[in-house]
Amino acid sequence: MTSFLSAFFSGTAQGAIYALVSLGLVLVWRGAGIVNFAQMGQAMFTTYIASQLIQNDYSYWSAFLIALISGAALGALVDLGLMRPLTSRKNSQLLTSQSMRTTIPVIASLGILGVLKALAGIFWAGEERGFPSPVAPNAIKIGETNLAITGFDLFVIGTVFLTLVLTTIFFTKTGMGLAMRASALNPEVTRLSGIKVGWVRTLGWAISGIASSLAGLLVTPKTNLSPNTLDLLLIIGFTAAVVGGLSSLAGSVLGGFILGYVISFVNVYSAPENVFIAILVFLLLALFFRPQGILGSKQVRSV
Amino acid sequence: MSKVKTHKVIGLRSTRLSIVLFLFFILLSNQFEPYNQSQLANIAMLLIAVLSITLLTGASGQISLGQGAIMAVGGYSSALLVTRLGLSMWLSFILAIFISALFGLFLGLAAARLSGPYLAGTTLVMALAIPSIAVRFETFFSGDVGISVDYGMPPKWLTNLIGEVSIEEWSLYVVLPFTAVALFAVLNLSNTRTGRTWRAVRDNEVAASLAGINIARTKVIVFVCASGLAGLAGALYGFRGLVAPSVYPTDLSLTLLTAAVIGGLRSIGGAIFGTFVIVFLPDLIEKVTGKLAIPETIGIYLPALTIGVLLLLTVILNPRGAAGALEHIRHKKKH
Repeated sequence: MTSFLSAFFSGTAQGAIYALVSLGLVLVWRGAGIVNFAQMGQAMFTTYIASQLIQNDYSYWSAFLIALISGAALGALVDLGLMRPLTSRKNSQLLTSQSMRTTIPVIASLGILGVLKALAGIFWAGEERGFPSPVAPNAIKIGETNLAITGFDLFVIGTVFLTLVLTTIFFTKTGMGLAMRASALNPEVTRLSGIKVGWVRTLGWAISGIASSLAGLLVTPKTNLSPNTLDLLLIIGFTAAVVGGLSSLAGSVLGGFILGYVISFVNVYSAPENVFIAILVFLLLALFFRPQGILGSKQVRSV
Repeated sequence: MSKVKTHKVIGLRSTRLSIVLFLFFILLSNQFEPYNQSQLANIAMLLIAVLSITLLTGASGQISLGQGAIMAVGGYSSALLVTRLGLSMWLSFILAIFISALFGLFLGLAAARLSGPYLAGTTLVMALAIPSIAVRFETFFSGDVGISVDYGMPPKWLTNLIGEVSIEEWSLYVVLPFTAVALFAVLNLSNTRTGRTWRAVRDNEVAASLAGINIARTKVIVFVCASGLAGLAGALYGFRGLVAPSVYPTDLSLTLLTAAVIGGLRSIGGAIFGTFVIVFLPDLIEKVTGKLAIPETIGIYLPALTIGVLLLLTVILNPRGAAGALEHIRHKKKH
């Protein structure tokens, strides 16, 4: 029973982080039709910035805030500097073919990932380092008995919950959020109603940058920080997004939590080596039986 | 749009090209010291894998970030066939092609339903998961330690014929015939009916299906061919000494894709160029950083940085790669 509870709680905390990653992926996918494989590279970079600031005696929370802001800036920069010119260019011969229009941005995002990893290695020597958390990772005690949940897990779940509430309010109550949803549904009509679709897209990239930066800050106290640590998170986040539905924000969050439980229970009841295989099997099952995802809308292709 | 070339004798030009490249490699290897000979052998192996991307992405528009994992399938197949069943190295290479092609068939059946980013993500997950299978089933695949295999010593008749042959040179001689055949096959394929079918699917799926092309079947066939090539490359790559998960990391898949993009996704000459770049560029950078006294901690990241920047510049400025740029210049001169 205790192992079940601890698997459940650590699954919830991990799932919360995966939900952030997958939310970030889906935000960009809905806005720009691009899966950003550099996303966790960007998060790795901003987490290094936070780590550097903490080493220079900044407080945890100011470093936290600066990391989120630089995450937004980096996301916007990737869109403005690379993706927007790339997708708006029509004269290139290669981009006239249908399949290449989706393939080229994927390759570009891999290029960014490579550059960011190399830069992190150059700036911060690339060796693994720890990353602090504001809450001690000890199990919470009531009286004498240890509960199956740690203070850090609670902190993660709380932070992500707050973020999700804020995101929901943003997308349902604010004009900017509604504009983003509109331009994801139908860019042409949105443009005609006077909304600058290009800038709305850039905003999507920025918010995605914040979400993934936050995921980086929340996951590194447990995994440590190195240029490659967050790669796995991208894979899991992608699987979560596909399971939940790449076109659905709520689905991406749901997918994140599902993946969190799957991975946590495989870890506890099976063996850690099985995690990768479990992810692959889960992804393939999802693609075979429900390619549009749990909450995704149908109509995936036009043929 | 790409011009449709008609060759009366379809195999002639490609035969010539393959033989020329074959001889070029051998002549080049005579000028080199052993280290560069082994680098040349690396190029010959990796070229086969890059060609698989030229087929997959360049000719048919599907993207795979998991070619390294398929190389691992080929590598493990041939290594297990040699060590467990005692087959000859040559036979194991040929069988590795078929085993990986079979694997590609299953992959293709899944991939035919996917497009663009879905396919990229799925193959990336595969690139991570497949090497971990070797760790999971340790008794069969030898886990992280891996299986030691090598090309063996050069045979007597060869040393009698051309004198002393270094081990590095021998590895090149083993690999080159396979590279030449692969090159020949890919060169021919792009000019056949099959190759045109693939290009049609790449450029416009709706139009292709209206023209009577079975899209799903075409995609599966492309995956089978590309996986066979990648598996062969992986088998040859493993026989440099070790078949282990660390030999086929995720980065390998990305490096191969980079080579194909830098050279030009749609050009076989580009694939050759790109493979040279990714193999020799790190050495070149190391030489330069040694002269400029750049500290080693920075120096080890410079190749990755340069290759990443090259990839980005290619995608932004010249998505058709080096081969596309060359064609552009030639085109301008004519007018």
